[in-house]
Amino acid sequence: MMAMICAGAWTWNGPLPAAEMPAAAEFNQQVRPMLEDFCYDCHGNGENRGGVALDAFNSVTNFYDARDVWWRVLKNLRANLMPPARKSQPTLAQKEVIEQWIKRYVFELDPLNPDPGHVTLRRLNRVEYQNTIRDLLGVDYDARGVFPPDDTGHGFDNIGEVLTLSPMLLEKYLVAAEKIIGQAVPTTARVVPEQVIGGDEFHGATDARVANGGPLSLSYYVPAQVTNRFHAARAGAYQLQVDLMVNEKYVDGVFDYNKCRVAFRVDGKALLSREFSWEGGRPYHFNYDLNWGAGDHPMDFSLQPLTPGMEQTRTLSLQITSVTVRGPTAKEAGVRPKNYTRYFPHPIPKSAAARRDYARGLLGDFARHAFRRPVDADTTDRLAGLAESVYVQPGKTFEAGVAEAMVAVLASPRFIFREEQVAPAGDGQKYPLVDEYALASRLSYFLWSSMPDEELFQQAAAGTLRQNLQPQLARMLADKRAAALEQNFVGQWLQSRDIETVAIDARSVLGREQKFDPQQEAAGKRFRQLNDRPEDALTPAEKAELANARTVFFRSFRKSPRVDLTPEVRRAMRQETEYVFAYILREDRCLLELLDGDYTFVNEPLARHYGITNVFGPEMRRVTLPPDSPRGGILTEGTVLAVTSNPTRTSPVKRGVFILDNILGTPALPPPPNIPPLEDAAKNLTNRAPTLRETLAVHRENPLCASCHDQMDPLGLALENFNAMGMWRDREFEQPIDPSGQLVTGEKFSNIKELKRVLVQHHAEDFYRTLTQKLLTYALGRGLDYYDVETVDQIVARLEASGGKPSALLEGIVESAPFQKTRWDQTAAAGDNTKGRL
Amino acid sequence: MSSKSAQAASTGTTATRNRVSFTRRHFLRGLGACVALPALESLLPANLLAGTAPESGLATTTTGAPLRTAFVYFPNGAIPAAWWPEAEGSGFQPSRTLQPLAARQNQIQVIGGLDHLNAQPGPDGGGDHARANGTFLTGVRMKKSATNIHAGISIDQAIARQVGNLTRFPSLELTCDAGRNTGACDSGYSCAYQYNLAWSSPNTPMTPEGSPRQVFERLFGAGGPGERVANARRRRQEQSSILDFVMQDARSFQKRLGGRDQDKLDQYLTGVRELETRIQKAEQLGEIKDPMVPTPAAIPVDYTQHIQLMYDILLLAFQTDATRVATLLLAHDGSNRSFADIGIPEGHHDLSHHQNNPEKIEKITNIDLFYVQQFAKFLEKMSLIKDLDGHSLLYNSMIVYGGGNADGNRHTHVNLPILLAGAGGGTLTPGRFVKHGGKPATNLFLSLADRMGVNPLERFGDSSGRLATI
Repeated sequence: MMAMICAGAWTWNGPLPAAEMPAAAEFNQQVRPMLEDFCYDCHGNGENRGGVALDAFNSVTNFYDARDVWWRVLKNLRANLMPPARKSQPTLAQKEVIEQWIKRYVFELDPLNPDPGHVTLRRLNRVEYQNTIRDLLGVDYDARGVFPPDDTGHGFDNIGEVLTLSPMLLEKYLVAAEKIIGQAVPTTARVVPEQVIGGDEFHGATDARVANGGPLSLSYYVPAQVTNRFHAARAGAYQLQVDLMVNEKYVDGVFDYNKCRVAFRVDGKALLSREFSWEGGRPYHFNYDLNWGAGDHPMDFSLQPLTPGMEQTRTLSLQITSVTVRGPTAKEAGVRPKNYTRYFPHPIPKSAAARRDYARGLLGDFARHAFRRPVDADTTDRLAGLAESVYVQPGKTFEAGVAEAMVAVLASPRFIFREEQVAPAGDGQKYPLVDEYALASRLSYFLWSSMPDEELFQQAAAGTLRQNLQPQLARMLADKRAAALEQNFVGQWLQSRDIETVAIDARSVLGREQKFDPQQEAAGKRFRQLNDRPEDALTPAEKAELANARTVFFRSFRKSPRVDLTPEVRRAMRQETEYVFAYILREDRCLLELLDGDYTFVNEPLARHYGITNVFGPEMRRVTLPPDSPRGGILTEGTVLAVTSNPTRTSPVKRGVFILDNILGTPALPPPPNIPPLEDAAKNLTNRAPTLRETLAVHRENPLCASCHDQMDPLGLALENFNAMGMWRDREFEQPIDPSGQLVTGEKFSNIKELKRVLVQHHAEDFYRTLTQKLLTYALGRGLDYYDVETVDQIVARLEASGGKPSALLEGIVESAPFQKTRWDQTAAAGDNTKGRL
Repeated sequence: MSSKSAQAASTGTTATRNRVSFTRRHFLRGLGACVALPALESLLPANLLAGTAPESGLATTTTGAPLRTAFVYFPNGAIPAAWWPEAEGSGFQPSRTLQPLAARQNQIQVIGGLDHLNAQPGPDGGGDHARANGTFLTGVRMKKSATNIHAGISIDQAIARQVGNLTRFPSLELTCDAGRNTGACDSGYSCAYQYNLAWSSPNTPMTPEGSPRQVFERLFGAGGPGERVANARRRRQEQSSILDFVMQDARSFQKRLGGRDQDKLDQYLTGVRELETRIQKAEQLGEIKDPMVPTPAAIPVDYTQHIQLMYDILLLAFQTDATRVATLLLAHDGSNRSFADIGIPEGHHDLSHHQNNPEKIEKITNIDLFYVQQFAKFLEKMSLIKDLDGHSLLYNSMIVYGGGNADGNRHTHVNLPILLAGAGGGTLTPGRFVKHGGKPATNLFLSLADRMGVNPLERFGDSSGRLATI
C-alpha cells in the first residue's frame, strides 16, 4: 500500500513494505498533482459531483479497492468525457501517465501474465444446440421453435452466468434427444423400399413442364388427365398412399359451389372415384394394397368438372401432393434404410461379447464427438451396458439398443454444457492454458456457433491446434459456417435480429411527412372519438357526423402510395447489415468502413425502399453509392434505423443511445427516477405539431436533463432525415429537418455525412475499443471486468497498427489470455486423473 | 383498420389467417364440449382423492376438491383514475377499466393499498421495470447486475414446494410474451428479471413457456386426441433408463467442477429429479386424462388469440388437476407492444409515460381495458366448469391479477392494481373493494399460502404479517 504523506483524509498504520515505495513516489510526484489540477474542482477537496470524490477514501485499502471508481475514471478519461470540455484539459502525455498508473497500481495488471478471468460453465444456447445437432447428426431440429428464448446478459445470449436450466428446459432436452435420434438413426437393418412420386411428376398429354417432385394443382373447372409410370423391379405386395389437398383462393362474402369428380387409376383400374366440392383446405390420404408383378405400371389422375356454367368465385383446385409407393413389403425384399452404414458400418456380430464390443466402439466414437473431447472407458462401458439392457429385450433390435444409448448421450450434461479442462502442462499454475479440446470448442462456438469439425478434432488430438492457430482461424472464417458470426454476433450487437419482428406503423410514420391539413386532422380526431363508442349509443346526428368524418379522413389514405416494411424488405435489411459486415470481414477491409463506407448491399425491393435506382432482381448485391449519398455504414442501415424507432415515429434519443452503446462505448446513464414532465413544446405552435427537434430542445434547457441528453440528442437528431422505416425525408410536419449538431466532446457537424467523418477522424479508437469489447464478450461468454483492460488495450493497439483490419482483431482475440487460459480453482476437487478446472 | 383484409389468400394454400382461425375455432369448439360437461370426473384421474390428502388440508378445499392458485401479471401499471372503484365495501360499482368484470362482480375482490417497496428506486438508481417484474412474486430487491442474477424464491414456487407433489406437475409457468428483443434490458438489470415471473431459487428463474402447442403437449402428450395417453406413457418408460444414466454422468461431472459451475449442474440435477418424480407419480396416479380436443397451434400471430389460448390451457391444467399452482406473464413489465388491432399503433410503454396528455391516457386506459377483458373471459369460463364438489372451478381457486407498477407514468409501486378472483373454496370473501392502507403485497401472498395448506411461513419477502380481511 502507499505512503500517505499529506494533509488529506488518509491514515495509515504500520511500516511500508519496500515494494510500495516506487508506487508512492510516482503517485505523489506525478499523478496526484494532476488530479488536483484537473479533477479536484468537482471531485475533491470536499466536492463530490456525481457521487465521485477521488480523495475521500478513509483508508489505503479502500483507495485501492475502489476499482470500479478508478475504472470509471479510466473510461471517462479515454473517451474525453472527463474533464468536461469547458474545463482545462490534460495533455495526451499526462493522460497516459494517469492511465498507466491506474492499470499498474490500482488494477495491478501484469501485461505479461494477465488474469484471464473465469467463465461460468456455459450451456449450449438454442442456436448453438440447433447447429451442433446439424453438424453431429445431419438433422435439422427446430430448437428455436421448441426451446424457450435464452436469457441475455450484456446484450448477448451466450453468457454462461446467465444461461440457466429450468426443469422445463431439461425435459425439452430429453424430448428433443429422443426426436432427433428417432429421426437420424435407423433401428432396423432392413426397411420396405419407398418411393415418393411428387404430384408434378404426373404429366398431361401436351405439357412440357419440368418436374421437381413438388405438388401439382388441377383446377376444378377444367377437365384434365395426368399420367405417370411406376417401374416395379420385383413382384410382390405393394402399398400405395395417395395424398391430396383441396385449395381455394379465399374471397370474402361469396361461396363457390362448384364440384368435380376425381379418379385415380392404376393399371387401368379405378381405385378412387370421388366427388369433391368446396372443402376449406382439407388434406386427404388414401391407402391401397396391391399385388404387382415386375414391370411397368401406369397410374393416372383424371378430373371431370361437374358443374359447368356455375359461377367460379374462389378458384377451387385439387392439389396432388404425392403418391408414395411402398414395397415389396415382403421381408426379403427390404433395403438398407437411409444412413444405415453411417451409424452401423459393420455387420452385427452374433455373440453377446462381440456385440458388446461393437456397441462400445460405436458409442465411444459418438460420445467423443458429442462431448467434444475424449471419453473415459467407464462412460463407454456404461453406454454399452445401457444399449445391451435394451437390445436383449424380446422384440428389440441391436440398432434400437444403440439408438437408446445415443439418446442418453444427447441428454447428458456433457453434451448440453461445454466442459473445459486444463492443459496437462498447466497443472498448478495460477492461470493455466485450457487444453486443446477446450480451445477447439472455444474457436468453433465463437466463429461457427457450433461444434468443432473433424479437422479441429484431429489437430486437438495431435496437440497441434494451438501452434496452428492462424491458419485454422483463416480456414474457419472462409467456411460457410462462419455466417453464424454475422447472424449471432452482428445480429445482437447491431440488433439486426429484431428487424423482422419490430412493430412499425407505416401510416403513422408517413403521416408525419405529409402536408398538415387542419380539416383532415380534425376529421381524424372526431372519427376516432365517435368510432370508439358503440354504434347504438350514437344519436342520428352523430352517426351522420361519423360517416362524414370517415370520408374526409380516409380520403388521405387513398392518395398516399402503399409503402410499408414488408417481410421481404425486412429480410433484405437484415441481410444488408449482415453482408456489409461479412464483406469487410472476408476481404479484410478497414473496420472504419462500418462507420463511413461508400457502398451497401441491396436487392430490388430494398433499393426501391431506399430510393436507389438501377437495381433489379431479388438477389442481394453490393452497390457503390454516389458520392453525395448520405447512406453507407452502420448508422444508415435500415435495421438500425427501424430498431431504434418507436412504432409510430423516430426516436432520436434511442438512436443516440444506440450510438453511444454500440459505437462510442460511452453508454449514457439510465434515466433517473421521478422524471418531471417536459414543458409542452407545442404550446406556442397553433397550426402545426412540433418537430422532434423542437420537443427535445426542452431537454437541454434543464441542466439536470442536459447532462445526459447533450450526449444522446445530437447523435439521434443527425439521423432525423431517416424516418422510422429507414427512408429519406427532407421535412417533418412541413418543417425542414435540421440534422446539424455538436458532440459533447466538442466536434461540430452539419449533417450525417459530416458526423460519420467526425466519428472516423476523432473517435476511431473509441470505435475499435467498443467493437473489441463487444466481440470479446461474445467470444468469451462473460462480461468484461477491470482486469480485462490490459487485454482490450493490447488488441486495440494491434488493430490500430494494422490499419483497422478485422484479421488483427480476430487474431488478437483468439490469442489473448482470456481466450487461451482460465483461472485455476483450488476448491475444485481433483477426481481420478482429471484436472480441477474452473 | 385491420391489415388482414388486404391479404388475399396466396396461391396453392388457403390463407394463413384461415388456417389459424380454423384451429382456434376447433379448439374452442372442443373447449365448449368441456365446458358443457356436467361433472369433472371424466377429466380427473380416477384416484384423485388418494393423492389429495384431505386430512392435511394441503391444496384441498373443505369439501375435498382441489384448491388452486394462479398469478397473472400485466405490465406498465394501470391508469389509477379508471382502475379504482368509487367506494369501498361490498357490492362495489365496477370502475371503467374493471367494467368487463361486472358479471363476475361477486367473485372478485379489488384489493387496494398493497405495496412493493423493494421495487422502488434506492441507491441502485433506475430500473423500475426490471424491479417491478422481478419483485412482484418474490418481494425482495433484485440485484442490479447484467449477469450476476440474484432475486429470491417466488411465492408460487414456495407453495409448489409443499403442494407440488400432489399433482403431476408441481407448477406451471406460462407467458404470452414469446419473443425477445436483442440489446440490453432495463438500466443495467439482467433481462432475466423482466422475462421471468417465477423463481425457484434466487438464481434459478422458472422459464415460462410461450407456445400453446408446446405447453399442451407437455401436459397431455403428443399426437392427436385419443393417442396422447399412450404416447405419454411410452415416453415415460423410455425416459426412465436415460435418467438413470445421465444422473450418474452429472454427479461425476459435478465433482470435477468448482464453485459457481457446480450451481449450474445443480440446476441440471434438479430438473432430472423432478422428471423422475413425475414418472413415479404418473405410475401411481396414471396419465393425465386426454381432454380430447385438437392440439393448439404454435404461437398465434394475433395477440388476443395467444392470450385466450394460454388462458384456456391454464383452465385445462386446473380442470385435469395437472397442477394446482400456476403463473402467467401476459407481457413483461416495460413491454412496448403495439396494439394495432384495437387502434393503438404506438408502443404500450411509450404511451404509459403519458405526461398527463389526455389522448395518451385514453389510449392506455383502453389497453388496460383490453387486458381486463381477456381476464374476464377466462373467469367466465372458469365459473362455468363444475368441480368435483359441485362448486365451480373459479370457486375453488384463488387467482391474483395484478402488476408491479402502479402509475406507469411515474413508476410508483404503492397502491398496486391487484385483483383477487375466486372464493378459495370458501376461504375468501369476494365481492368487495377493500383498501388495506399501505401493506406489503407479500402479506397477501402469505395469506394465500396459508389457505393452500402450506406449513405456516414465518415471513415471505418483505412481509410484515398476514392480510387480515381477504
